[in-house]
Amino acid sequence: MEEWIVGTLSRTLAYATPLLLATLGEIYSERSGVLNLGVEGMMILGAVSAFATAFITGNPWLGMLIAGIAGGVASLLHGFVSITLRANQVVSGLALTMLGLGLSGLFGRGFEGEPLGSTIPNVSVPILKEIPYLGEILFVNQSPIVYIALALTPVMSFILFNTSAGITIRSVGENPSAADSAGINVWLVRYLCVSVGGVLAGVAGGYLSIAYRPAWTTGMTNGMGWLVIALTIFASWNPSRGLLGALLFGALMHLSFRLQPWVAPELLKMMPYGSAILALVILSFGTLKRSMGAPNALQQPYIRGEK
Amino acid sequence: MSERKLYSTITFLVIASFLLIGFSSVAMAQERDKLKAGFIYVGPVEDYGYSKAHDVGREHVEEVFPWLETFYVENVAPSDVESTIDQFVNNRDADVIFTTSYGHMDPTISAAKKYEDTIFFHCSGYKRRKNVGTYFSGLYQTYYLSGLMAGALTETNKLGYVGAFPTPEVKRHINAFAIGIHEVNPDATLHVRWLNAWVDPSGAKEATQALIEEGADGFAYTEDSPAVLQTAEENGAFSFAHYNPMYRFAEEGTLSGQVSKWGAIYQDILYKVYYGVYTNENLNDVDYWWLLKEDAAALQAKPGMKINPKYEDDLKSVTVQDPHFGEINVYDLVMKRLEQMNADRVTFDPFIGPMEDRNGIQRLKDGEWATHDQLWQIQWAYPNVKGPWSGEPEE
Repeated sequence: MEEWIVGTLSRTLAYATPLLLATLGEIYSERSGVLNLGVEGMMILGAVSAFATAFITGNPWLGMLIAGIAGGVASLLHGFVSITLRANQVVSGLALTMLGLGLSGLFGRGFEGEPLGSTIPNVSVPILKEIPYLGEILFVNQSPIVYIALALTPVMSFILFNTSAGITIRSVGENPSAADSAGINVWLVRYLCVSVGGVLAGVAGGYLSIAYRPAWTTGMTNGMGWLVIALTIFASWNPSRGLLGALLFGALMHLSFRLQPWVAPELLKMMPYGSAILALVILSFGTLKRSMGAPNALQQPYIRGEK
Repeated sequence: MSERKLYSTITFLVIASFLLIGFSSVAMAQERDKLKAGFIYVGPVEDYGYSKAHDVGREHVEEVFPWLETFYVENVAPSDVESTIDQFVNNRDADVIFTTSYGHMDPTISAAKKYEDTIFFHCSGYKRRKNVGTYFSGLYQTYYLSGLMAGALTETNKLGYVGAFPTPEVKRHINAFAIGIHEVNPDATLHVRWLNAWVDPSGAKEATQALIEEGADGFAYTEDSPAVLQTAEENGAFSFAHYNPMYRFAEEGTLSGQVSKWGAIYQDILYKVYYGVYTNENLNDVDYWWLLKEDAAALQAKPGMKINPKYEDDLKSVTVQDPHFGEINVYDLVMKRLEQMNADRVTFDPFIGPMEDRNGIQRLKDGEWATHDQLWQIQWAYPNVKGPWSGEPEE
C-alpha cells in the first residue's frame, strides 16, 4: 500500500508539472484582466519549438528557452488583438489555440517520428532522496523542471500578494480605470502579464516534448491547455491553490490507469475533462464567477475614459 | 475569294481539326495508360504509426510499377472522406481509391454508389460492393511470437499491454500475445490498460508507468507512437515495436516487433486492377486477409533484425517442452513457429483449440482452428489476461 501511494505521488508530480507551469502563467494573465484561451496553442508551439531547437542544436536547455520565447511571442499576438485592438478575448484566445495547433503541425512535419538524442534527463538528488517517503516521492527520478515549477509557485504567489508589483497587477484586473487614474500604465501591465502567461505555457510545452516524453507528435498537448483554463478557475486565481489543483489533476491522470481494474476506463478518462467543463460553466455564470474570486475586469477590454 | 478556294479552305480546316482531335485523343490515351491511385489516411503520414505504415506501402508500389501514379491526403476524418473522394475522382482522375481507416467504411460505400466507374478498396471494414473490395494485414501471428519471447523473459511474471480501444482487432492482438506468454510461462499474467484513443502519447506513457508500478517488466501495445517503447526502456523493461520498425527509438528496450507491410497487398491489388482482373463490376467477394505467409506482416525490430541480438542469449537459455519439437529453447521455438506460419501450407496458428476464455467458456473445440470470422469478431479474453474488458461476452 505504501509503495502504491509513493509510486502514485511520484508520477503525479511528473504529470502535474506542465499543468502547474501553464496555470501559474494563466493566473497572472487573468489577474491582470485578460482571459487567454490560447493556452493549448501556446503550449504546443512551445513543444514544437523546444523539440526543433534541441534536435538541431543538441542543447535541450536552449530548447526550453526557445519554447518560452515562442510561447511569449504567441501570447503577444493575443495581447495585441485583445488589449490594443480591444477585441473579444474569448474569440482571440480560441483563434490562438487553432493557430498554434495548425502552425505546430506544419513546422513539426520534419521532426515527427525523429528520436531526440539530447533530452533533459531525470535526476535523483543525493542525500535528500534518503528522507523516508518524501525522498522517494520528490527526489528520485524526477525531472529538474519539476523543481523549477515547484519553486516558482511560492515566488509567484509572494509577488502577487505581498509586493507592490502584485498590487499593481491585481488593481489593473479589478478596476483598470482606478489604476489608470493612479498613474499605472494599464496596457503595459496587461501586456507583461499576458506574456508571462505565454512564456510559462511555452515552457510547459517544452517540458512535454523534451523531458516528459522526448518526441514530437502532432497535437501532443492533447487538451492539456483546456485543463489549465479549468485549473485557473479551480485555483480561484491563487498560485498556491494552483499547485494543489495541478497535483490533483496529475493524480487523476495517473490514477485513471491505476484504477482501471476496478473502475470503467471510459469513466476514468472523463474525470479531468468533466471537471474542466464544470469549471467553464462556472466561468460563464457572472455571479458565481464573482464569488469564486475572479478579477472584476476579467474579459473587459480597457478603454480610457469609459466607465 | 473564289467559291472553290473557300471550300478547300473549309475542307482543310475540317481535316486539320479532326487531326488535332485525333492527336489529342492519342495523347490522352497515353496519359490514360497510367493508372492513378489515391490514398486517404486517417492520421498524419509522419505519425510513425498506422498511417505511416500505409504510406510506406504506397511508396513501395509507386517504385515497383512505372505505370502507376499515386497521391494521398492525410488527416481525413470520416466526415471528410466523401468530399476527398469527390476531389480525387473529379480533379485528379483517380482510377483506384484506397480508404484506410475503419471509420471510412460507410462514406466509401456511399461514394462508390456515386462513382460506379471508380474502383475502391477499404481497409479493415466488412462492407463490400461490386466496385468496393476490402483488405487487411493481420498482425496476430506476430503478436503471438512476441508473447513467446515476453513469457520467457519476464522475471516478475507480470506483463503489460497498453491498448487503444477495446475493438476486436486490439482484443485479437492481446489474446494472441497472451497465448504466446502462456505457452512458455503458464504462471505469467498479462495486465491490460486502455487509452480509449489511437494516438495519445502522454496517456500511453502514464499507462506504462502505472503498469511498471504494479510490477510489469515487459510490454506490448496498440498505440500509434513509440511512447510505450521509450517509457519501458527508461524503466529497464522490454517492449515490442508496433506497426513500424521502431528500434531506433529504444535500442535497448526494443526486443522485437510486429510490423505491417501493406506494400505487398497494394502491389497485388494494383497489379490485378491494371491487368483487368479486378474491375468495377467484380469486387463483391474480394477480401484480402493477409498474414505472415503473404508477407503482409513481419516480425522485426528493424529491417534485417528480427530479434534484438541483445536478448538472443537470454531467449536461448530458456527451454520449454513442446509436444511436437520436444525440448526446445524459446529462440528456436520462435523461429520454428515463424517457419510454420510462413510456409506455403501453414501448419500452425495461435488460435487452435481446445481453448477457453477467462470465464471458462469454451471458444474452440479440440483441434479446431479459428476461422476468419471468429478472429474478425473476437470479443472474449484469454484466461491469463487481467484488467477491464468492455464488451466481454457472457456466453
